[in-house]
Amino acid sequence: MSLHPVLAALQHHLPAGCVLTDAEDLRPYECDGLSAYRRLPLAVVLPETIEQVRAILVTCTEHRVPVVARGAGTGLSGGALPVENGILLSMARFNRILEIDVPNRIARVQPGVTNLAISMAAEPYGLYYAPDPSSQIACSIGGNVAENAGGVHCLKYGLTTHNIQAIELLTMDGERLSLGGPALDAPGYDLLAVLTGSEGLLGVLTEVTVRLLPRPHTAQVVLAAFASVEAAGAAVTATIASGIVPAGLELLDNPAIRAVARFMDTGYPEDASAILLCELDGETEDVSGQLEQVCNVLRAAGSTSLQVSRSEAERLRFWAGRKAAFPAMGRLSPDYYCMDGTIPRRHLSRVLNEIGRLSGEYGLRICNVFHAGDGNLHPLILYDANQPGELERTEELGGRILELCVAVGGTITGEHGVGMEKLDQMCVQFNPAELEQFHAVKRAFDPHQLLNPGKAVPTLQRCAELGAMHVHHGQLPHPELERF
Amino acid sequence: MQTTLTQSILQTSAGREADSILRNCVHCGFCNATCPTYQLTGDELDGPRGRIYLIKQVLEGRTPGAGTRLHLDRCLTCRACETTCPSGVDYHRLLDTGRDLLEQQAPRPLPERAFRLLLRRTLAQRSRFARLLRLGQWLRPLLPAALRARVPLRQRASPCVTGQLHARRVLLLNGCVQPALAPQINRAAEQLLDALGISVVAEHGDGCCGALSQHLAAPAEARAFARRNIDAWWPHIEQGIEAIVITASGCAPMVKDYGRLLADDPACADRAARVADLARDISEVIEREQPWTRLTTAPAIRVAFQSPCTLQHGQRLNGVVENLLVQCGYRLTRVAEPHLCCGSAGTYSILQGRLAQALRDRKLAALQADSPELIATANIGCHAHLASHSSVPVRHWVELLSALLPGQAP
Amino acid sequence: MDQQALLIEQVQAAARARQAVQIQGGGTRSFYGRNATGTPLETGGHRGITSYTPSELVISARAGTPLAELQTVLAEQRQMLAFEPPRFGAATTLGGAIATGLSGPRRPWSGAARDFVLGVNCINGKGEYLRFGGQVMKNVAGYDLARMLTGSLGTLAVLLEVHLKVLPAPQREVTQYLECNAADSIRQCGAWTVQGLPITAACHLDGQFLLRLSGTDRGVAAAVQRIGGETLDASNRFWQQLRDQRLSFFSTRQPLWRLSLPPAAPLLPLEGSWLLDWGGALRWLTGTPASAGEVRQAAHLAGGHATLFRHGDRAGEIFQPLPPPLLALHRRLKQAFDPSGILNPGRMYADL
Repeated sequence: MSLHPVLAALQHHLPAGCVLTDAEDLRPYECDGLSAYRRLPLAVVLPETIEQVRAILVTCTEHRVPVVARGAGTGLSGGALPVENGILLSMARFNRILEIDVPNRIARVQPGVTNLAISMAAEPYGLYYAPDPSSQIACSIGGNVAENAGGVHCLKYGLTTHNIQAIELLTMDGERLSLGGPALDAPGYDLLAVLTGSEGLLGVLTEVTVRLLPRPHTAQVVLAAFASVEAAGAAVTATIASGIVPAGLELLDNPAIRAVARFMDTGYPEDASAILLCELDGETEDVSGQLEQVCNVLRAAGSTSLQVSRSEAERLRFWAGRKAAFPAMGRLSPDYYCMDGTIPRRHLSRVLNEIGRLSGEYGLRICNVFHAGDGNLHPLILYDANQPGELERTEELGGRILELCVAVGGTITGEHGVGMEKLDQMCVQFNPAELEQFHAVKRAFDPHQLLNPGKAVPTLQRCAELGAMHVHHGQLPHPELERF
Repeated sequence: MQTTLTQSILQTSAGREADSILRNCVHCGFCNATCPTYQLTGDELDGPRGRIYLIKQVLEGRTPGAGTRLHLDRCLTCRACETTCPSGVDYHRLLDTGRDLLEQQAPRPLPERAFRLLLRRTLAQRSRFARLLRLGQWLRPLLPAALRARVPLRQRASPCVTGQLHARRVLLLNGCVQPALAPQINRAAEQLLDALGISVVAEHGDGCCGALSQHLAAPAEARAFARRNIDAWWPHIEQGIEAIVITASGCAPMVKDYGRLLADDPACADRAARVADLARDISEVIEREQPWTRLTTAPAIRVAFQSPCTLQHGQRLNGVVENLLVQCGYRLTRVAEPHLCCGSAGTYSILQGRLAQALRDRKLAALQADSPELIATANIGCHAHLASHSSVPVRHWVELLSALLPGQAP
Repeated sequence: MDQQALLIEQVQAAARARQAVQIQGGGTRSFYGRNATGTPLETGGHRGITSYTPSELVISARAGTPLAELQTVLAEQRQMLAFEPPRFGAATTLGGAIATGLSGPRRPWSGAARDFVLGVNCINGKGEYLRFGGQVMKNVAGYDLARMLTGSLGTLAVLLEVHLKVLPAPQREVTQYLECNAADSIRQCGAWTVQGLPITAACHLDGQFLLRLSGTDRGVAAAVQRIGGETLDASNRFWQQLRDQRLSFFSTRQPLWRLSLPPAAPLLPLEGSWLLDWGGALRWLTGTPASAGEVRQAAHLAGGHATLFRHGDRAGEIFQPLPPPLLALHRRLKQAFDPSGILNPGRMYADL
């Protein structure tokens, strides 16, 4: 079997050990953090310099071979799932922190640097990088930008897009573009905004400049238990309405509480229907004032118990359970499917009740972890891929949950990205003109459509087929819910 | 993850165990963040998640090739990934099973097999190793630089002076290479224990703990070493020793695992479990005795503590030694990346020289960054590996405590 | 009032006739950007708050809604637009604010206009009605075109409706002023920010360094102690005048340059009158003998860029020129939204 001509060209441009072509070596790269979907690429390339990345892109453009970029491979939407006739471009070797500019409070880093490594490097200066996805120990900043990652603290400090100041990238035809800079804004269109969350479809990042914030002097967490999800949801609304913006506000339902308790000693009351973790940070005086206010609000909303962290160690312990919630599911069930819809907060109870009903309908357990502060819902569907048909039923259930989110005026993805797993739901959230506008933007960056094809934005044809299916079955999903 | 292990594999208990471990893994990738080899190469194949995936392929019936062997060989078996994993994946068990299967399905080229056999026959045999080491030390001036660096200077241990026999008695594991490389470690341990009212039974016919064989995919040989030790120790156990104390943290996880290792052997399963139950890292024993009340205060020396993987990941003993040193008056310096392996990892420093050196240099840079006067460690392997290139002296931490015994020269 | 259908029809007609339009709201920002050409497309009549849920921290309003109306409604609920959009006249509209993407004194500490845009409904240059983003903060479905339209000066789409995130207004705000030179004010502002002081505005003008502190009563009182200086009466009025360029510094008819620089950039060797805002990250310059090229070069060397904000030669380049590859990308993006080139052509750069 002869090698694809592009491989010979790549091997010519790259040192030994940077091009993997044996199937044995390719298999561990056949998926990212979403292991339910697997595809073998033509080859995996692991460049070490920007010049090598450029050579890869130019070569692939010449041969019209698609390229999928990959950071740490921790994504949950299949954004780094390879394309079968394409190259998987790993940027993991770009792991150096280039500069920490303390007076301007920015850090210039390579895309393979992990999220947490940035904060650790900034720590001696009293600064940190605020967006903290739960996978921050391992996820790469390049991946964070591609997905516009969030995290527990994005309620107060924003998503990746609010914390990025500059990007350097290579387009598919090898052009170097520099967007933004050390100043707070840049002339022209806000291309940083377009790139952030573009899921590897518009360019390959080669450098990221992030904003660093001063470490808050103090932070405390309130752990509040509730006898019903409705009460917890109402408490969330009341907290925001009281004029406080907490640093983080998270909700776990009872199945999630019990799942995490099997993994570690969380201190979460296991009989609560729901618990809220509310963090306040800032200057000591501010925090104690806000703490008092929040506790009053939560009590008035009917919390059955309240605990306030009394030390940094205790604060971290309160969070540890929440942060390990997803992988802790691995102890409860061989596989789990993590959904990521966002809804207006006031619909939380209604949506959770409907999810509960769907769980019963499909016979699959669901645990809910919720960024209550910004309405970002993470239903975790527990299943066993070794059981025939269970993965398919899980996907179908996931799709119905996402459509429910759209039906109540929300969105199908708050922070994990569309990847390849939510393409069908994009057809529900956007109409053909809007999808075509996305495609037009894509063509402006990547006219040959070689970067991460088949991800993030569905083709109109796919949506037409889907729409026809819906028409054939004679109904739209959730006709009983009023459209927003 | 979804698994489709072959029927023949699932019929073995190791295979069933492997299946259950694989079902725990959710492929999240957190483990890569703390894996030393992933930090060095940035290649998914050199991280635990990728290795798990490679082993899974073999268990599912794919014939392994040189690539799988290379990446499994590169694993330090440091188990930092287990400390990080939120899903409770028992990585080292899966690795052992994977390596065993690989030896059967894709045997190594003869030179490799011969070399590994040589290592097992020389390192794991105490007297043979001692003789070879003496020879090497005698020839040291004539050796080429690279080899000379590997042969440490001869250490002499002052004779151990202890008082009368105490009622409390323990066995002190001698092991294979430590008596020849660094006899002063167990001397120091013996004196320290004696001062704390515990007598050490010095000679008890023990040998290598078996870890070397286990990690070189010779499990039958490992079990033979374990049985030998159990037989040698049993009379002492019957006479009421309270613990089997181990100064080399690299051996402790192995001895603590004897119960599981020999669970299928009806002839010694019970005794193996009892031995495992009695096994203690020396830090656990010393900590309980609160030694700082009976030692002189340490001089204000800056010490960088290197916590071996077998201590922090293999035995989950974190902060114990650090606390002991601080309580005794030593000043601990800051050490970056404390969770990363130094690269010694048993025979790894011999078999994977390039990676071992890179890790050693990285570890020494981290240890020496805050200007320590001494580096303290807890394992003979790390000790020898770091000492070969360190600019400051390297000591086992028990030596730092025994130096504080009343009447000791500083 | 809902003029959506009318506006869509007008844009579609203009597209068919390839007739350029000049988007106008309240007409208070026509000075900004390059000279506008085309028949006016009046959006001021398309106004009204369409939804406001204080407990969700979201407000939605049609583009022609005057900012003043928005801010009054928000203030009743003790909430605010944290990016403090400038009001250059009573008729300033939401659409104009978002299309120009300008932010006021609070920007470095709370975020810019684009950071608070959750979604927009708009009409592209083909007359298609499109909705991007939504009403929820976390939304990564599709490309972030809502944010990209912010500051695009109406060259890509006509804004019909904007969904904005709002924040609770601070419990208390106090402004302190100190005698200080410009370089020290920059250094000091940076140091105090890293120390965690609740600064929400920092301006240096005529040897005076003014800082606004916002937060809880206790927090602000503690900060005032730390900073020292004198307390300014009518603190709100000063910052509003700065925001809206009604301070006497801005009353000149000389070219007014807006320099956006890294906050810790040293003072630039350009003669003229300077006003430092955003703790040094936004610097206004008037009365400089330096040429446009010299001003832009100095800004570029310092890591930023310069805009000829008001007066001066409006026929030339207003914004810092883009490197050719970036300009080429901008042209392609313009094509993607407005292939006939009818929306505010030439308002940002000659080819867009």
